[in-house]
Amino acid sequence: MSENFEPNVVAFLCNWCSYAGADLAGTSRTEYPPNLNVIRVMCSGRVNPMFVVNALQQGADGILISGCHPGDCHYMEGNFFARRRFALMKELLDFVGVDQRRFNMSWVSASEGAKWKDVVGKVVHSLKEAGPFEEFPRNKIDW
Amino acid sequence: MIDLEKLRDLARETISRDDVKYLIGWKPGTHGFRISPHFVSNPEETAELIFSPLCSNNLATYLTLTEKRPVPRGEQPDTRKVALMVKGCDSRAVLQQLTEQGITKDSVYVIGCPCEGVIDIKKVEGKYPGILDQVEARWENGKISLYLPSGKVEMARDDIVAEKCLTCRYPNPVIADVSLREEVEVKGNNTFDDVKKMEAKSTQEKWAFWQGKFNSCIRCYACRNVCPMCYCEECILDKTNPTWIQRSVNISENTSFQLARAFHLAGRCVECGECERVCPVNIPLSHLNRKLVKEVMDKFGFEPGVDPEAKPLLVGYRPNDKEDFIL
Repeated sequence: MSENFEPNVVAFLCNWCSYAGADLAGTSRTEYPPNLNVIRVMCSGRVNPMFVVNALQQGADGILISGCHPGDCHYMEGNFFARRRFALMKELLDFVGVDQRRFNMSWVSASEGAKWKDVVGKVVHSLKEAGPFEEFPRNKIDW
Repeated sequence: MIDLEKLRDLARETISRDDVKYLIGWKPGTHGFRISPHFVSNPEETAELIFSPLCSNNLATYLTLTEKRPVPRGEQPDTRKVALMVKGCDSRAVLQQLTEQGITKDSVYVIGCPCEGVIDIKKVEGKYPGILDQVEARWENGKISLYLPSGKVEMARDDIVAEKCLTCRYPNPVIADVSLREEVEVKGNNTFDDVKKMEAKSTQEKWAFWQGKFNSCIRCYACRNVCPMCYCEECILDKTNPTWIQRSVNISENTSFQLARAFHLAGRCVECGECERVCPVNIPLSHLNRKLVKEVMDKFGFEPGVDPEAKPLLVGYRPNDKEDFIL
């Protein structure tokens, strides 16, 4: 992998906490790596495990799913369901030989702009070490 | 040793009941070691029924696979039960479908067949290839005897049974309205040695292994069709909008398909091993499933198809579920 590889991270942020947290980081002029492509979802429980697989297929080098802290979910329990689901998904991806560092999940609340910066920094740093995702991306057809 | 007369008497008795529509059992297949499902709707047809070490088919899949024709106007729907012959693993599939409310308790009549392990047809056909006559097999004194055209062969159970039987903790049906015979001894224990061995490999080694396997997948979807737990009326594999998985057969889509299939069985797979049995290119699918079975047990202490009162795993949660993977 090259020295200046910039990973492409797809981030699924919940509307109520993490998206607002990322927004706070922005309005507070916090500097953090610009590698994220943010997709806003209404709840981390909205994220289908197939989103993760499809993102990897379509050129993502890593995934970050972020939602409200357990107990703080706007919909009471959405993030609890997400937690169970992705605990298994992470193990499954690891088992077929996808680097563990490619799948990340975090809890960031609307007031945690500083934590958001740390999380993104950590994810991007570990993905730079992991290198580009070459296992099963879709073949790009250059029309 | 199975008394086939007793089995057929039981079937005849069952099919004569007023509340039973038809019975699903096993009969000898077309040739060699093959077994076919047998749909019995009148007492005469019970003469063909068998239960032997060759009966590895999981018949629970037919509960949801059978065609549901629209009821003609003015007629009442047939609400009678379907009688089903189950081994231990099949009964777990029935129970799991019941807890998921895929079927209802009053739509099925379960005939439990305690089982001492079924033959892996790939193993036995490798040993005795090209047999055209029907072969009979029996459990005898803890061994499995094959009645080949050339004569009787006795084989040790562990040499010839399917992988799932070596780790089977439920040889006796967990749910049965009536039982064919007395319970058998539990021989297997699930230590997940195969999964642990795989886990110990490096990321590159794991991918090299699975890449080879997934590359050979021809996407026939036999694993989905045979699976008793795959009974969604609309399957994401058939949907074109959204296209979760494209039709092209390449490593990317194949991996995506395999991950989707495995994940949809997370906390649901009852380890009946049917997907692996029907796979025409011998992908070790139950290996993937067993990984998830292991994780579900380790992380959530849950085992599908065992407790009739349990809620399906992924529709519930506990506030103190482990979250060591969260940043």
